[in-house]
Amino acid sequence: MRKFKIIFRPDNLTVEAEEGKTVLDAAVSAGIDINSSCGGEGTCGKCKVRVLKGAPDILTSGLISPRERKNKVFPACLTVIRGDLEIEVPENSRAAFDAFTAEEPSGIMPETKEGEFKRSPLFASPKGSVFNFGFSFDIGTTTVAGQLTDLNTGKILGTKISGNRQAAFGSDIITRIVYAEKPGGLKKLNRAVLESMGRIIESLAEENKIPLKEIHGILCSGNTTMIHLLLKIDPAWIRRQPQLSVPSFPTLTAKKAGIKINPAGILKCIPGVSGYIGGDTVSGVLAAGFYREEPLCMLIDIGTNGEIVLGSREYLAACAASAGPAFEGSGLSCGMRAVSGAIQKVEIDSKTFKSAYLTVSGDPARGICGSGYIDLLSEMLQRGIIDKNGKISAEGKHIRSTDNGKEFIVVSGEETRAGQDIVVSETDIENLKRSKGAVYSACAVLARHLSLDLSAVSRIFISGGFGSRLDIEKAVRIGLLPDLPREKFIFLGNSSLSGCRKILLSQDALKEAFSIASRITYFDLASDPGYMEEYGRALFFPHTDLDKFPTVKF
Amino acid sequence: MALSGLDIYKLLPKTNCRQCGLATCLAFAMQLARKSLPIEKCPFISAESRRILEEQALPPIRPVNIGYGDKQFEIGNETVIFRHEEKFRNPAAIGFIIEDSLNDEAIKKRLEEIEEMRFTRVGQELNLNLIGLRQNKDGERFLKALETVTSSTGMPLMLMSGDLSVLEKAAQACRQRNPLLYAAKEDNYAAAGAIAKKLNLPLVVMAQDLEKLSRISGELEKEGIKQIVLDTGAKPPAEKIWDLTQIRRQALKKKNRALGFPALAIAENEDPFREALEAGDYLAKYAGIILVKNLRKEEALSILTLRQNLYTDPQKPLQVEPKIYSVGKTDTSSPVLITTNFSLSYYTVLGEVEGSKIPAHILSVDTQGMSVLTAWAAEKFNAETISRALNENRLKELSDGKNIIIPGYVAMISGELQERSGFKITVGPKEASGIPAFLKNLMRVP
Amino acid sequence: METNLTLEKYPGLISTVTIGSEGEELTVGGQNALPLLFKEGNIPNPPKIAFEVWDIFPGDFDPELLNIYGEEAKDPFAWAELGINKCKADLICLRLQGAHPDYGDKNASKIAGFVEKFLCRIKVPLVIIGSGDDIKDNLIMPACSEAARGRRCLLGSAVQDNYKTLVASALADGHNIIAESPIDVNIAKQLNILISDMGLPLERIVIDPTIGALGYGLEYAYSIMERARLAALSGDRTLASPFICMAGQEAWKSKEAKEIPGQGAIWEALTATSLIQAGADILVMRHPKAIEETKNHINILFGGK
Repeated sequence: MRKFKIIFRPDNLTVEAEEGKTVLDAAVSAGIDINSSCGGEGTCGKCKVRVLKGAPDILTSGLISPRERKNKVFPACLTVIRGDLEIEVPENSRAAFDAFTAEEPSGIMPETKEGEFKRSPLFASPKGSVFNFGFSFDIGTTTVAGQLTDLNTGKILGTKISGNRQAAFGSDIITRIVYAEKPGGLKKLNRAVLESMGRIIESLAEENKIPLKEIHGILCSGNTTMIHLLLKIDPAWIRRQPQLSVPSFPTLTAKKAGIKINPAGILKCIPGVSGYIGGDTVSGVLAAGFYREEPLCMLIDIGTNGEIVLGSREYLAACAASAGPAFEGSGLSCGMRAVSGAIQKVEIDSKTFKSAYLTVSGDPARGICGSGYIDLLSEMLQRGIIDKNGKISAEGKHIRSTDNGKEFIVVSGEETRAGQDIVVSETDIENLKRSKGAVYSACAVLARHLSLDLSAVSRIFISGGFGSRLDIEKAVRIGLLPDLPREKFIFLGNSSLSGCRKILLSQDALKEAFSIASRITYFDLASDPGYMEEYGRALFFPHTDLDKFPTVKF
Repeated sequence: MALSGLDIYKLLPKTNCRQCGLATCLAFAMQLARKSLPIEKCPFISAESRRILEEQALPPIRPVNIGYGDKQFEIGNETVIFRHEEKFRNPAAIGFIIEDSLNDEAIKKRLEEIEEMRFTRVGQELNLNLIGLRQNKDGERFLKALETVTSSTGMPLMLMSGDLSVLEKAAQACRQRNPLLYAAKEDNYAAAGAIAKKLNLPLVVMAQDLEKLSRISGELEKEGIKQIVLDTGAKPPAEKIWDLTQIRRQALKKKNRALGFPALAIAENEDPFREALEAGDYLAKYAGIILVKNLRKEEALSILTLRQNLYTDPQKPLQVEPKIYSVGKTDTSSPVLITTNFSLSYYTVLGEVEGSKIPAHILSVDTQGMSVLTAWAAEKFNAETISRALNENRLKELSDGKNIIIPGYVAMISGELQERSGFKITVGPKEASGIPAFLKNLMRVP
Repeated sequence: METNLTLEKYPGLISTVTIGSEGEELTVGGQNALPLLFKEGNIPNPPKIAFEVWDIFPGDFDPELLNIYGEEAKDPFAWAELGINKCKADLICLRLQGAHPDYGDKNASKIAGFVEKFLCRIKVPLVIIGSGDDIKDNLIMPACSEAARGRRCLLGSAVQDNYKTLVASALADGHNIIAESPIDVNIAKQLNILISDMGLPLERIVIDPTIGALGYGLEYAYSIMERARLAALSGDRTLASPFICMAGQEAWKSKEAKEIPGQGAIWEALTATSLIQAGADILVMRHPKAIEETKNHINILFGGK
């Protein structure tokens, strides 16, 4: 196999790559993070790079416009190495995996009475050691959040959130499960998540001046697939038989797991329920607390997997909406995670259609995150820019037509960092509509199975990694959340992480988690004959049955 | 009102012991609500709960069996008023009335004509279910005609006579054929019932007024006659539709056991065209047996097709015929887009191709109506099934193979598909809305 | 056992849609009971039959139909008169197929001119349908709509991805609209909402659920129609529209109609009458015998109340 030199600009990094591999492969080995929603399959078009020097083979694709071809701009995953190359990776094609947000977990924690669970840390330090630190991790499909805690005092020392590097191999679970079936796939996916976790651990340890060997345990909360990949267990059965019960996860030493803390430290995972309902959902239920109370409650995770739990002390029912990563900013033309520069709040002027916005950290706008999209959709509906089907039906300075349909310009290129317009396209809206339709219809189906009306629910807990805030009103207006009295909604932030923390600090809480896991009944939507109907009905803003949204008027 | 999953859950032990094979009692309750498994699977259910559950499991419209051997058919056992609520279960039986006033030769000829009325459509056999022999003259003629019928055909029978002694003799003569007896009426139902009970044969109960019908049928049921078919007699079509609707509602909504039986309707018109239209109305509106007299072959095919349509399972997804569809003025260089035979998938792709104004072929692969992602997850839309479809549809003859496009969502199969099929495979957009731009770029249309 | 008859009373009402100019109009819809259940409410308007006519010679039509039409099919006016006089159809459904790029590609002004002449000759209520090519129809339909101003026609068809132009014309010129959805009750509802969001009253919409013929998916539209009707009568105004069904067009696509002589008429009629059981209010038909028998059937059903 011949090897060639690939130079990346403006990073000025050089790598050797085998003939026949793609530029995307080369970039990954160079440590350059390029957007790859589709995991390198050539469908998302997000990995476009420019060939400055050299003559690679370009695989056939309809994603390359004649102008791009002329300018030698091609998707990196379709650019095959046949000789030395010099490649320019534009800003827009770069993935911001490692942009940390160092935030305290946000949202309102329901009243946690001190002594709710007896304090007894999960991990003990070895004899003679004064210090005892532990980590709780929420391993999401799109984002990874890690929290350092002093197990002796129970104090949180810091939290960091970064992108899950597995995204290079696909933005959704099924794509990653399929990738794991390839030779070497499971290993790459495992390494990717360990890297993401490792960077968070190192960063927090350094900030708090804690030697890594004083960290004695990591408790992980994640969906079933994420945990399989973390523990390097073959996840193939998950998509084939999602309704099977999850076997209990083994506890590994840090050394065996490949995590750089005290080698004798422990890696433990919160138990899950089934293929699509994992420890993160169990953890979220624990955090919300309604599993031991009378009133009927609902927990909605507005994330890639969109888990919904409905129940109380009497029973617990759960399903997975498979909403997709749209609300985490992935797969949209200008979507991004809720890190600095992400538009998170928008208002549109009714006459000029000009957008006033706020970004995370106040930095110049780079893109839009989940909560920003929720605001945008609500505003666009309110101003008549889109019809209830999500099609742009107005005209004006901020609206233009392209080959792929119309788009609405939120921020013009002059005001952005990269100099490119930030837009919402009709395809984006279609994508968001499907995500919100999936979440809402999953709630509706679960309620229907239990012969309940959604109005019977006393409290609705919302969790998700789409931003530090959620405008409940706007989320209802677009039909993402049911139209119920707004005070019933409680935004929990990252409930998986909150629950994980409770368990980290109490062995009783771990027992409780096992009990919760065994009580949850999983409802598989894909095999539910009524689901597609319900889903189709939810593909409208706010909903085809306008009566379900009496307070929403555009 | 059938018990909901949650109602059933409240009757269970709620221990989540898993002895039934499911993870939680709630899961078991949901399955029970769907009647997917028997109550017995739970070893710890209380006697009272069991009693409640068993009672509500009885069919509201009793099944009735007519005929014998491989020609036996069942009617009744319906659980919904509208097919979209779930489905209609037992296709209505359709039969021909033959008058005993025809001479034996004529009867034989008519039977031959009727036997010819069998067709195959969409892989299913469509045929008629029974012959109703109707008495017009004396008992002797009726019995002789019956002999002619039984020696000429094996079809199930309905014996139509107003004279109970004749009816009894006829029933005894062909008892092993399990014929339907027509009919018990207001003035003779006790005696008619006795005959049916003695010979253990299904019986039509006829009364014009629904109250009377309910009363008579209720009494007969108490006597132990369980195989009853209801008839409200000769009426104009709109009234007959009303009666049939009432009976269905009474059985399902009012739990009226006396009317919890399949219903019969007779469509008789000198004009076979008109007879067919009338029969069609009854087929749509709940009749369990429909008798006609004058339909010819083309009307019979139409009615049997209507039956086939109404009794399909609405929960099975809408499908198009899996084959190649050519859009616009195609030639061998035209691109080929591959999708499933789920109706919505196909029509969505079709719409985009038409909108693109670029002539193209669409290959609809048989995935039993599943959409792209579902079919892929169920292993019905993968390299193997697609390459088989490519070969079966002789793609090599149709296309130069330069632009065979698969949906973006199954990009991961492109390598294997290329190997298996021998065609060069291009990965298309994930969203159908991306098709027009994609095709323009692909075909280098400026 | 007591048998109190189950009389179901519904709070909803299907819109009454009026088609045709003052003095020559007909109405469809207006019922507050399920199809043919006269004892439960009011069913003021029996289903109507529209005779299908093209603006060009229908070379694609089955030879059996062309035979029956004879020379009349070559002249749209004579052809329409055949429908009115011989078949006693209640409406004419004029399809402007000649505008389609593959069928003659007639331009908007030619089409509008033809429609004007047609309106002068043919005085019955009119359904006017485009060629099926969205881009072309967005050019010709506004012109025809204007030419037909005052005639309160039923214009077709608006679909979810292309409804604005037609709705705007209907609003401007006082016409009704056919809202077409692909055998999907949710899309039917969504489309009605989008149309009414533009300001067209729900009472000017007729739903085309896109039927399949007998043997070719009839049951799909049948169930869509039953579901929509139930929802409408239970109070859902956005689905409370009368239905129009292309029985002729679909039935004559069938193998049976095309290959078995004499089969087509009963195939088309049974398609139509079955859909009437599901709530069809306007049937667009082709074969004179099918029309005659369907009309007779409707009379029997409605006469016997």
